[in-house]
Amino acid sequence: MKIVVAIKQVPERDAQVHIHSTSNWIEEEDMQWALNESDAYALEEALQLKEKHGGEVVVVSAGPERVGSTIREALAKGADRAIHIDCDDLNQRDALGVARLLSEAIRAETPDLTLTGLQSDDLGYGQTGVILAELLGLPHASLILHVEKTEAGLTVKRELEEGWFQTIELPVPAVLTIQSGGNKLRYATLMGIKKAKTKEIRRVTSQDIGKVAPPVVVLERISVPQKQKSTQILGGSPKEAATALVEKLKFEARIL
Amino acid sequence: MISSLPTLSEPQHFLFQEKLLFVVLAAGSGLLFWRRFSPILTKILASKRDADFRLFPLGRRVWDFFLEVVCQAKVIRQRPLPGLAHAFVFWGFCAFALVTLNHCAVGLGIGFLDPSGWFGRFYFYFAAAFAVACAAGILGLFVRRFLVRPRWLGDKLSWESGFIALLIFLLMATYLAAFFVADTSATARLLWWAHTITLLVFLPIIPHTKHLHLVLSPATVFLSRGSFSHIPPLAGDEDFGLVAGTDLTRLVSLQAYSCVECGRCTEHCPAANTGKLLNPKEIILGLRSYLNECGPASAEPLLGKYNSQEAAFECTTCGACEFQCPVGIEHLPILIGLRRGAVNTGAWEDDYGAKLFLALERGSNALGMSATERDKFIQKQELPYFDGSQEFCLWLGCMGGYDPKGREIVADFVRVMKYLGTSYGVLRKEKCTGDPVRRLGNDLVYQQLAEANLETMAQAKVKKVVSICPHCVRTIQEDWKEYGTPPAIEHHSEFLARHLSQLPTVQSQEKIVYHDPCYLGRYRDVYEEPRAVVSHAGQLVEAPRSHERSFCCGAGGGLAFLGEEKGERVSHVRAAELVETGAGIIGTACPFCNTMFRDALASKGNGAPQLLDIAQLTARALPASAAPTTK
Repeated sequence: MKIVVAIKQVPERDAQVHIHSTSNWIEEEDMQWALNESDAYALEEALQLKEKHGGEVVVVSAGPERVGSTIREALAKGADRAIHIDCDDLNQRDALGVARLLSEAIRAETPDLTLTGLQSDDLGYGQTGVILAELLGLPHASLILHVEKTEAGLTVKRELEEGWFQTIELPVPAVLTIQSGGNKLRYATLMGIKKAKTKEIRRVTSQDIGKVAPPVVVLERISVPQKQKSTQILGGSPKEAATALVEKLKFEARIL
Repeated sequence: MISSLPTLSEPQHFLFQEKLLFVVLAAGSGLLFWRRFSPILTKILASKRDADFRLFPLGRRVWDFFLEVVCQAKVIRQRPLPGLAHAFVFWGFCAFALVTLNHCAVGLGIGFLDPSGWFGRFYFYFAAAFAVACAAGILGLFVRRFLVRPRWLGDKLSWESGFIALLIFLLMATYLAAFFVADTSATARLLWWAHTITLLVFLPIIPHTKHLHLVLSPATVFLSRGSFSHIPPLAGDEDFGLVAGTDLTRLVSLQAYSCVECGRCTEHCPAANTGKLLNPKEIILGLRSYLNECGPASAEPLLGKYNSQEAAFECTTCGACEFQCPVGIEHLPILIGLRRGAVNTGAWEDDYGAKLFLALERGSNALGMSATERDKFIQKQELPYFDGSQEFCLWLGCMGGYDPKGREIVADFVRVMKYLGTSYGVLRKEKCTGDPVRRLGNDLVYQQLAEANLETMAQAKVKKVVSICPHCVRTIQEDWKEYGTPPAIEHHSEFLARHLSQLPTVQSQEKIVYHDPCYLGRYRDVYEEPRAVVSHAGQLVEAPRSHERSFCCGAGGGLAFLGEEKGERVSHVRAAELVETGAGIIGTACPFCNTMFRDALASKGNGAPQLLDIAQLTARALPASAAPTTK
């Protein structure tokens, strides 16, 4: 089974984010980068499928030079080879623009299965994977927690709202967007990092892939969320307070 | 009775046949010894070279050899009675070296110790005194092993040891008996032969029993790495730690064959004493079995048939085993080496472990919290940032920066520094020092963390660091050396002890029992400073196990982040021991010990003693004006 995993490098969870003077992107200097979380789960799912059924795992990532470190991390965790789509203007592309880049690279690989995280931790559009399937002309399913290979194709477990799950079958080749938390992630090892050094990273430039139309969606402005505190102290006896709390959780917060 | 002019034990005029028989027997015994010993020596020498081994400087090696081998200092200090008995046997053997040489020479008719000369006479009596001590010693050890039977010697009685004890006793008895008979008598001849045969039987038993330590342990002590828990750097791209036989270094193989199975390591091991699978002695003996059956060129994994992975990951790295070992075995580089082998190759699968590794691969702290939590704490406490102008860089660490109790300790330590007028500042960003991943054997993450922190410190031009955490102190000072030059660092107990005379004292008779953290005591040799701080705040009470024999809290070696599933909890056992001293306060000097005891004491309910760090004990006595700015 040949599986392609499309991954994205995003700012590290703990990184201190400062908005760039153009106010439509963040300061990239001194930023620490990491593999997008749901992409890490997509990679894990691919590696487990490969371990069970054999085959090859190829990672594809678009972005500038710095993306190389995240690609090497994926190779260290067990991917066999990688394609780096070199482009310096990733943040100016919309989901369609990124999906076009990825689709051109992936089409040439003719994989049985294409996986990617369901959304990115930085922009969070949740669109790239779905558009990618459309551009490749392949069936797709989103929010996937678990993938099983069957005679006919795939059986996948989707996450729905309110704790519901859906199990569906679909043929291969297909594109799936993976939800976080379906598997336990493996940790990177020294041996993996050393092996990764000898694995192939093919670099292609965005120009090689063809001209891209101007973005349909333009990022105008980003801002830091305004902090607001609205603590309420519920008085009365513990019983009264608890009753009031349940009321509020039910009708104001609507989480019960 | 002793004749007026003692002829001293060596008969003369052997028949030619007797001489021939002696030569044949001696050659046979020697050959048998060599046939058994040479494969062991070959295996040790065929093991991988220790890449970082340096013979020089010799001073430290000679001094260790003198203390631990010649003086038997560790053997005696840590187990006085059996230690002394062993020392007498050892010194007896040393004194006997010349006598034995002469004894054999006599058999060939070329004896060189003249019993009528002043030296010969002196020496025979000198050796006789040792023979008495040695016989008494071996008798004592026999009684201990076969009648007293302390449990760490193992459940299985070693008949070999009994037989060897008998041989040693016979050697001494036959030597002493000869003082009472005339040289020319048939009894003297009989005694000579009895002594000779005992000796020749003894020799070939040495290599395949624990008595091999007679031959190897002096070399093991002399060649040891020396510094406590010294984890050797990985050598080259193919080195991932102790994975298979090919990874065993000469030092590891030598140490595996040197084990005397005394069980001191087991006696003090927190895992072995709380029902875990780990028994440090069995780890060493497992390596020995591996070497015997597979050899140092084998690709068979070290963890599997011969040693258990589960056991290797139960070690708290408290170091009681390495500290106690009388034959120079360095357990920590071995245990951590086995973990490195398992983690660096991905063979270790553990949910908690993977969670910790992933938290430190991506984030900044072992608690898996957002770094902004640390920033919030710094703002709330109004801690100044280090800008190069202050005397100290205050290293918060994961516990000090993120753990609620650790933060309280930092807040109180800061109050003390403010009171003293000591200038300090904290770094804008810190990552975990790498202590838990270092001890768990994850070299990849450890290197990333050490390098990132070293760079942060170099950029901030940090010269002097103080920390409330012994794990941070140890890792920064010793372990970071592999990747750069760490700044000078001290533990807050050392800082506080130095400033005690300027600090107010409470007139309190409150009993405070002090718990020695492993990483402050055994790792750093700091025992008295925290005690001085405790004594300044109340009445110091000692726990039954204290100083270098302190019993671990269970948190070290990354285990604070793993699940302790088997047997009793180490922290509960130690907390119960501290409670039993009747002290109203448990004084700690490590935020990890503190958090372990907090949980253990919580299960004791209201009657439990108070739990306070030495910084908190000190801050209690400060005037109210030095109260913390915020809670």
